Amino acid sequence: MKRQIPLIIVIGLGLLFVIHTFVPHKISEDFYEWWQTWSKAISPFMVLLGIMSLFMVHSTKIKRKTANWQYSFVTLGGLLITAFVGFMWGTREGTPYMWLFKNIQMPMSATMFSLLAFYIASAAYKAFRARSVEATVLLVAAVIVMLGQVPLGAQISHWIPDTSKWILNVPNLASKRAIGLGVGLGITATSLKILLGIERKYLGGD
Amino acid sequence: MSNNNTRFWDRMQNLDRRYIYIVVALAIIIPLLIPFNSKTYITEPVENLYKKVDSFTDREDRAILMCFMHDASTMPELFPMEVSILRHCFERNIKVFTICFLPTAAPLIDYAINTAKEVGGFDVKSGIDYCNFGYKPYALFLPILLGMGEDIAEAVETDSEGRKVENLEIMKDLKNYNELNLVIDFSASASVQTWITYARVKFGANIGAGITAVMAAENYPFLQTGQLVGMLGGLKGAAEYEKLVDIFASNNVVFSKEIVKETWIPITDKQIPYQFKIARIGMNAQSVAHIMIIVFIILGNIGYFVSRKSKNKELG
Repeated sequence: MKRQIPLIIVIGLGLLFVIHTFVPHKISEDFYEWWQTWSKAISPFMVLLGIMSLFMVHSTKIKRKTANWQYSFVTLGGLLITAFVGFMWGTREGTPYMWLFKNIQMPMSATMFSLLAFYIASAAYKAFRARSVEATVLLVAAVIVMLGQVPLGAQISHWIPDTSKWILNVPNLASKRAIGLGVGLGITATSLKILLGIERKYLGGD
Repeated sequence: MSNNNTRFWDRMQNLDRRYIYIVVALAIIIPLLIPFNSKTYITEPVENLYKKVDSFTDREDRAILMCFMHDASTMPELFPMEVSILRHCFERNIKVFTICFLPTAAPLIDYAINTAKEVGGFDVKSGIDYCNFGYKPYALFLPILLGMGEDIAEAVETDSEGRKVENLEIMKDLKNYNELNLVIDFSASASVQTWITYARVKFGANIGAGITAVMAAENYPFLQTGQLVGMLGGLKGAAEYEKLVDIFASNNVVFSKEIVKETWIPITDKQIPYQFKIARIGMNAQSVAHIMIIVFIILGNIGYFVSRKSKNKELG
């Protein structure tokens, strides 16, 4: 029953949504509105579930003193402090919540993301080599697109941004579209397998 | 001499990465501290988005929705875009709504609105000229996205201040995507494709994207098909939009290609507030950093070929 009930819900609702897409009848529209109301009611429970799960994972880590368990205090402390100041004084401009956001979260997040620039530069120097024809094509394309992205490229010659545009609009677009079509077909096939009950891995177990 | 040369390139091949980090840090920090004037060239996707937003000027029955789908980590690229578009809307009396489905994006909306409002000195009021729908749980992304196709007020229910959306003055003449006719998604992911799949295909809404540079290439197929009316790609897109707002919106002038070609706006101009030229200042740093990376690639390859040649010689 633990597997059959979720399976019936997924197949039943999945088929109903397929029917709704193709049948614009009043019953179909009413069903759709009913679903929208229900989905709104379900979402707060999902947030609650997330918070509970976070607490359970990190409190277990602290209890068992697993590797880097000290950081779990930081995670839970961050969650509690942010929630407390948010509930107490609100989240608008001028509140402690906004102060925390501007002075802690913003610089820390931006710092993490900006490390990319250093890794890219180092990786480009160490690994970007014209070892084969394919690697040379990739290298030349990367240099043109990089130059085309900055004003200096256009100042050197108009053909740099023009070629960069061509690379993005022709070879890049063709490959992206091919990947997109493949992904689309894959999604359709997987959806059909789920609707027909052939694919059941999402239920867990083997 | 030749031996010394080979040794030099061998050493260069094994250069400690900390030297590279220092050079990159300097290449980014110095142009940020000492801004210099560089030209900003306008590309078609940015021009198209600007023109679409501008076409809603002074219209009561048109509005745009800005969806903040990112957190603070991608702020350096996306925040200048958001401030520029909000500034454009405030300058040209365009109704604008904001929404987010990530809790970490909610303070970003307040920050962007306040930056545009306070730095620009605009006398705009929440609920009349603009409205922040605020944070909605991600689980409601699809129900709200689809619901707005029928009735915005019913789908969103309340704004960030807890007011009933249907009672707000800004909602007069606005019902669904027929009026909320342009959605601009700002993200570092492919979330704009969800807007295209549902809001564009099902309801005919116009969709625009503000996206980080690394994700921009993903969206070119949608630009070509017209499913995206325009796109701001990375800091470059933000810099271009900033320039367009400086030339046209802030002077209450309608877009013209000729004026863009003839106009030169120096970023060292003190009259332009720092927050309104931050992307163009950032582009200087990006220009130098790109040049540095290209130099690194060239040096790395010279070293690779010199080492390979000497190894081949040794092998006979």
